[in-house]
Amino acid sequence: MTFSRRDFIKTASVALGAVSLPSWVYQAHGAVPALDSVNKDALADAALSTAKKLGASYADIRINRYRLEAVNTREKQVLNVSSGQNFGFGVRVLINGTWGFAASPLVTVEEVKRVTGEAAAIAKANSAITRKKIELVPTPKVVTTWKSSFERDPFDVPADEKIAILLKINEAALGVKGINFVNSSLASVNEQKYLANSDGSRIEQYIIRTNPSFSATAVAPGDFQSVNSLREAQQIGFEYLTKHDWVAEAKQAAEHAVMKLKAPSVQPGKYDLVLHPSHLFLTIHESVGHPTELDRAMLWEANYAGTSFLTPDKTGKLQFGSKMVNFVADRTQPQGMATVGYDDEGVPGQSWHLVKDGVFVDWQTTRDTAKLVGKSKSYGCLHADSWGSVPFPRMPNVSLTPSKQNVTQDDLIADVDKGILIYGRGSYSIDQQRYNFQFGGQTFWEIKGGKVTGMLRDVAYQSRTTDFWGSLDGLGGEATYEIPGSPNDGKGEPGQSNAVSHGCPPARFRQINVLNTASGASSGQMEDHN
Amino acid sequence: MLLTEQEVKTLTGKILSMVTADDASAAIGSNKQSHLRFAANNVLTSGTREGRSASVTVWIGGKRGSASTNDLDEPSLKSMVEQAEKIARNAPPDREYMPTLGKQTYKPVNSYFEATANLSLADRARQIGTILSECEKSGVIGAGFHNANSQAGGSATKNGNFEYERSTGVGLSVTARTPDGTSSGYFLRSHNDIAKLDTMRIARESIRKALDGRNARVIDPGIYTVILEPQAVADLIGGFGFGSNARTADEGRSPFSAPGGKTKVGEKVFDEKVTIYSDPWHADLPGSQSAGGGGGFGSGFGGGGGAGGGIPAQKISMVENGVLKNLTYNRFWAKQKGAEPTPGPVNTIMESSGAAMSVEEMIKSTERGILVGRFWYIRATDPRTASSTGLTRDGVWWIENGKIAYPLKNFRFNQSTVKMLGPGNVLAVGKPERVGSSEGGGGSLLPALKLKEFNFTSQSEAV
Repeated sequence: MTFSRRDFIKTASVALGAVSLPSWVYQAHGAVPALDSVNKDALADAALSTAKKLGASYADIRINRYRLEAVNTREKQVLNVSSGQNFGFGVRVLINGTWGFAASPLVTVEEVKRVTGEAAAIAKANSAITRKKIELVPTPKVVTTWKSSFERDPFDVPADEKIAILLKINEAALGVKGINFVNSSLASVNEQKYLANSDGSRIEQYIIRTNPSFSATAVAPGDFQSVNSLREAQQIGFEYLTKHDWVAEAKQAAEHAVMKLKAPSVQPGKYDLVLHPSHLFLTIHESVGHPTELDRAMLWEANYAGTSFLTPDKTGKLQFGSKMVNFVADRTQPQGMATVGYDDEGVPGQSWHLVKDGVFVDWQTTRDTAKLVGKSKSYGCLHADSWGSVPFPRMPNVSLTPSKQNVTQDDLIADVDKGILIYGRGSYSIDQQRYNFQFGGQTFWEIKGGKVTGMLRDVAYQSRTTDFWGSLDGLGGEATYEIPGSPNDGKGEPGQSNAVSHGCPPARFRQINVLNTASGASSGQMEDHN
Repeated sequence: MLLTEQEVKTLTGKILSMVTADDASAAIGSNKQSHLRFAANNVLTSGTREGRSASVTVWIGGKRGSASTNDLDEPSLKSMVEQAEKIARNAPPDREYMPTLGKQTYKPVNSYFEATANLSLADRARQIGTILSECEKSGVIGAGFHNANSQAGGSATKNGNFEYERSTGVGLSVTARTPDGTSSGYFLRSHNDIAKLDTMRIARESIRKALDGRNARVIDPGIYTVILEPQAVADLIGGFGFGSNARTADEGRSPFSAPGGKTKVGEKVFDEKVTIYSDPWHADLPGSQSAGGGGGFGSGFGGGGGAGGGIPAQKISMVENGVLKNLTYNRFWAKQKGAEPTPGPVNTIMESSGAAMSVEEMIKSTERGILVGRFWYIRATDPRTASSTGLTRDGVWWIENGKIAYPLKNFRFNQSTVKMLGPGNVLAVGKPERVGSSEGGGGSLLPALKLKEFNFTSQSEAV
């Protein structure tokens, strides 16, 4: 099924607000009574009072449990079923304007005190070389709980039910003549998070994410082509497996993989592009999500992920895209992988414009970056991928607002004379300031005279962020809106993973440079914009 | 605290004693990470993290299940074993089941250094403080990442094998940017032994690149002769992970697949100057004593957890004088194909089959070409030819008449790695240096390369 924007709004009221968490929060699976006795508030008191004694102006402790279950299959067999969990805590202290962090899997009061001392020792050792003190913007004290929206907890579903669905997917793909291989998998993630900070906040959250996927491969002499599932991970329960017809999609993907073997290779050149949400979401991620991260603009990521072509002086001035382009950062969007009640320093989930009517207007912020652009509050973008990781600025869901008109994908195609329709995530590469990018997809369809005429292969397009979004002249309406997500967005040092979604309708872009990935030749040099 | 050999033996023994399944392997790991991240000439985040893990894989009537936990107390281990056995009882038969290994004999690798494991916070702060001062003196904006880690762990099987290993690693990368944002330099090095990490060299090289890279010019993209510094080679081919898997090649899904379900082993796939091998005991790049048993060119630390892995690692040749010598077979695929499981690779060493040439000599011998220091955001575009796209970053230079003439703005490339290393395209190979990919991943010993043709497809103004 396709989630419409109306569906999101309908379920939003269920997802928000304080709720009772499942009784097994902070219990291991199986019978492990020892963990029931974890007194999180006592552990928090030990961390926060020790930090205060050691001179911290701010401190927080996160006590988290993560559960992961994965089922992997290929063809008619199960490769692996695995189940894991990870429990521990991390303490962050701010002393003399310098951060210190330490973490341990031994969740006891004594260990919390020792680890808090270690975090303080790190902050003190490094404060000797600190040039500019970290300053936090305030946020109100909160004592609450929050649970993500789901109908059926995947951790309550027996493995054989999951296996049966995956093997049916494989069977459907293998039933297509010409298909040699198929892989499928289902990953279920559960985050159980507790945060206490020196502002007095105590927040418990329970989050479920579900990530089914498959890939069908057809092999011909000297060639092979694969097509992956177009549906992506979501913050949703096991109902995702039954609400969407995965088997039908697998059959279609298999047919497309076989077609791809014989599809003509694209002729490089300028084309109009119609990009389906299953493809467009990652283009948004790379070219809009990352450059609007304030820590990148402040050079905090200069050594790894890179900086940004956006700088604070361009806020409210830079024409990012055409007037139809509106990007909203949103940590409240149901099914959004980055949706939370509160971030990892107690700031509530919010939604705000990054690009309004084509103009770049705002940033993704945290309590330690907000002040750098004169803000008095944070938008709540702090996140750590584990109890053992230092929380730092991470991307919220960043979504493209659909047209208010009832525009269909076919309407967008109808106005294209020479173009390509692209589905699915392929190869994505973008420079360290998020200007120049090259993106591929799963399946490519030639558009001629307003109609899809057949399949193409070896397609990638290259563009520059503002040129690309400036060329957008068509958006699908609310009924075409989807919210694909990615479970593994890498950033930071040590590297951390973030789950994030990008809601969008299909969109049309004019005169984009398309190249042929098989020959490695582009249609020529891009214009110089220096 | 890292676990000792005795502790790992006790814990894996305890797990196996709880197993009622027909066959099982158990693994225990422990690690400690300590990092300092700096940016905008200031300290950013710094922390330590300790971790432990236990995992078990069981087979009941040929059906497999596995589970893991990071809680090593007895009730948690028991719950983990029960979970794995529950999964196995409900799973369909594991068609690729191989009985776990019986007792093996490993030749230890020396990759653990106390000084790295017990890093001094004060010393590290002093070193990073000196780097920040050097950046300030040079008028550049510095960012970087210092990371030390240590790990110890091992595995045991129901059929009587046990192995234990420990290792340390430390790395430092520094990026220097000019305040006007028009130039940037980068340098990264790592080692197992903190005493061998020259932090000031790393800082000075990145600052030099940033200062020398000012006033970069634009030239047309196209096909050029290039000299890739070892960092750029590491970024592009890293652990040489593409296409080394025998099963993928046998199934027709690899650049090393040959018609008729065959592979290109024995064929000259690369230029004759190229030799690639793995050596677990190389002093500059210690690997692991046990091989993962197939899959890719990766370090198989503690890789004895599954039935496919854990055989003793050996020195093996992957490419010799351009000829593909080996692809990697895990135990299952080896049995299917009547081959031996591959005892590696556990690291990647690439060197010249003949005499090595220094980067300076490569430049001197170049009439017109481009020197590349680093690549970034490399993503595969076509697995059939191991083609990828990506960008240059942090230092590109135009070479004319045997000299560096001026810095260039960045490019995007689209290039097949197989063609790049192919016969006739490799003009010179340097002396290997220990260097890791700047997108992450372990270290390799890789040389600078001079290549006849390399395909830059568009301009990138990013710095």
